[in-house]
Amino acid sequence: MYKGTTPRIRKVLYALILAFALLVVRLIFVQLGAAKPLSDIASSQYKLAVSLLPKRGVIYDRNLKELAISINLTSVFADPFKIKDKELAARKLSAALGAGQAETYQKLSREKGFVWLARRVSPDKARAVASLNIKGIDFIKEPQRVYPNGVMASHALGFTDIDNNGLEGLELKFDKYLKGIPGWRYAVRDAKQREVPGYNYKEILPVDGDNLVLTIDSMVQALAEKELNNGFEKYHAKGGCVIVMDPYTGDILALANRPSYDPNNAQSAPADYRRNRAICDFFEPGSSFKIVAASSLLEEKAVRPGDKFFCENGEYRWCGHTYHDHTAHGWLAFRDVIKYSSNIGTMKAAQKLGKDRFYKYIKKFGFGEKTGIDLPGEVNGVTRHPGTWSKLSLCSIAMGQEVTVTAIQLACAISALANGGNLVKPRIVQRIEACSGHAIQVFEPKKPQRVISEATAKEMRDILRSVVDDGTAQLAELEGYFPAGKTGTAQKVEPNGVYSHRKFTASFIGFVPYDNPKFTIVVIMDEPRPIYYGGVVSAPVFKKIAGELMSYAKIQPKEPPQPRRLPTR
Amino acid sequence: MEKNRNNYCQRMLALIFAATFTAVMYVNQQALIYQMGLKLKTNSDIYTKLVDHNKILVYNVLNLSSPVTLERRLLAKEVELSMPSKWHVVKNDHSPKKVVLNSKELAKKGPLSNLFAKGR
Repeated sequence: MYKGTTPRIRKVLYALILAFALLVVRLIFVQLGAAKPLSDIASSQYKLAVSLLPKRGVIYDRNLKELAISINLTSVFADPFKIKDKELAARKLSAALGAGQAETYQKLSREKGFVWLARRVSPDKARAVASLNIKGIDFIKEPQRVYPNGVMASHALGFTDIDNNGLEGLELKFDKYLKGIPGWRYAVRDAKQREVPGYNYKEILPVDGDNLVLTIDSMVQALAEKELNNGFEKYHAKGGCVIVMDPYTGDILALANRPSYDPNNAQSAPADYRRNRAICDFFEPGSSFKIVAASSLLEEKAVRPGDKFFCENGEYRWCGHTYHDHTAHGWLAFRDVIKYSSNIGTMKAAQKLGKDRFYKYIKKFGFGEKTGIDLPGEVNGVTRHPGTWSKLSLCSIAMGQEVTVTAIQLACAISALANGGNLVKPRIVQRIEACSGHAIQVFEPKKPQRVISEATAKEMRDILRSVVDDGTAQLAELEGYFPAGKTGTAQKVEPNGVYSHRKFTASFIGFVPYDNPKFTIVVIMDEPRPIYYGGVVSAPVFKKIAGELMSYAKIQPKEPPQPRRLPTR
Repeated sequence: MEKNRNNYCQRMLALIFAATFTAVMYVNQQALIYQMGLKLKTNSDIYTKLVDHNKILVYNVLNLSSPVTLERRLLAKEVELSMPSKWHVVKNDHSPKKVVLNSKELAKKGPLSNLFAKGR
């Protein structure tokens, strides 16, 4: 100690040394004991983690027309603590946003530092709010999934939720490819909580979602939707669907459902409207299923086209049950049994095949199994094993009862007849592309499986042509293009288990032109009223679609061939 | 003794000057970084805004050119497009290989003109 220091100075000095020692102890305590949590608190005050949202991939049609894109829209939020005159702010904001004043005031009165005022507003509204220049009101950009074609192809495309997660259709099935990977930017913020530019000390860039290229052709889809809608409204149907397919590759060119919904505003539509009936609904096909019975009978040579069957003049009692034809027929050649869709003739012919062989062909045509289309929610349909069949089952199934199918299964089955006997797998996605444009995954058409021989397929095409030419589907006739197909009118089953006399499923499955098929078209109408015949309700829809498709594909009409007489045995 | 003291003072002054200069340069550099960051951010904001605006316009164009919208607009004007009947189609076996349309004629062609023939 220096000489001459007074005791008072010494006391001050000791006090300072003690205070300094206490500070050192406190510093050691802070550094050793509480450094991490305190450092975290400090970081949270000046560090800012900014989420970098990826761009959701685009969905294109086969001609690279955009079916689903993402745009950035402005969302408006408020920090109620910073707003002084909340009543005035609410009045101005509600006018600019078109929202209720009381609701806006309620939001601004919350004891929170962040309140959404409106999410994803139009640019005009965002500009109007910005021009108000209210302190405490801020904006953020958020991506919004939009579908430029509205209801068109909505069931195939699906939709996303407010956070851009796929909820239905292809948006759901390919969500992991479409959504991309979000990124982060750790930035520094100033005392007013604003990001300080140029002080990003860590950045992980987002990876944009991949794009999907579909097999759907938006023009074909539009044509199909238009004609389906006309038929659906004309016959006051409960539901309906149309599938247009390339019979050789299985490419889905159009997949339309009614009732439908706008995926831009999916939440407002009832769940029933959002169901993809073409793949999620199964139904008894009725006479459309006779193509399976006829193909298997001809393939197994159990009957020949000219073999004659007595159709009991429209009423036939067998195994304690009475079967009817909608028109009374006497003797009919087998081809005419199909042409006139005689139930009695079909059940008599089916008995020549036997249940095991018939079941084998049902499976070969792909019924009772999912087709594997890249859409969520596909169902199998029901085909029971022959071991569980009753005495009536063989005949019933041949007529399209006791069996349930989906529209997509019917499309594949009729395509097999159109393309020469090969069962194709339906394909709705061609490829997945990175945003740079290079293909990540290509979905080639799967190798088709032979179901029937080319000769049988050709025979079936001729028979199905006669159905349109002179049989039950004359309303599907398209001058110069010679379509072929089969009608179906199936009674629906009432909740008490009996066949309804009021509710029907009207169907028409066919292809065009019959000698060189370019398109397979399936038209299903659920509970049409007051007319319910497939040949009256669904066949005209087929005709309209087929006609417009021919124009679209620039296929010239042919001169009608000379009247031909099919040989009968 | 006096000389040593002067040298010491000079060194101290130089040190203080160097430290001050370094500090000023550092602050200047930080200010420049901030300024540049602000400029980049402003440019980036403008770019993003333009891109977003462009996307919204693209969406509007897609929406307007959508077959569904076109159909609705045509029906509202009571124009119904349908496939040509046989009597609409003129078959010309001696047609030239390619018909070249001038820009005015091309402008007249509607988006669906190659798909449908107009008829009432």
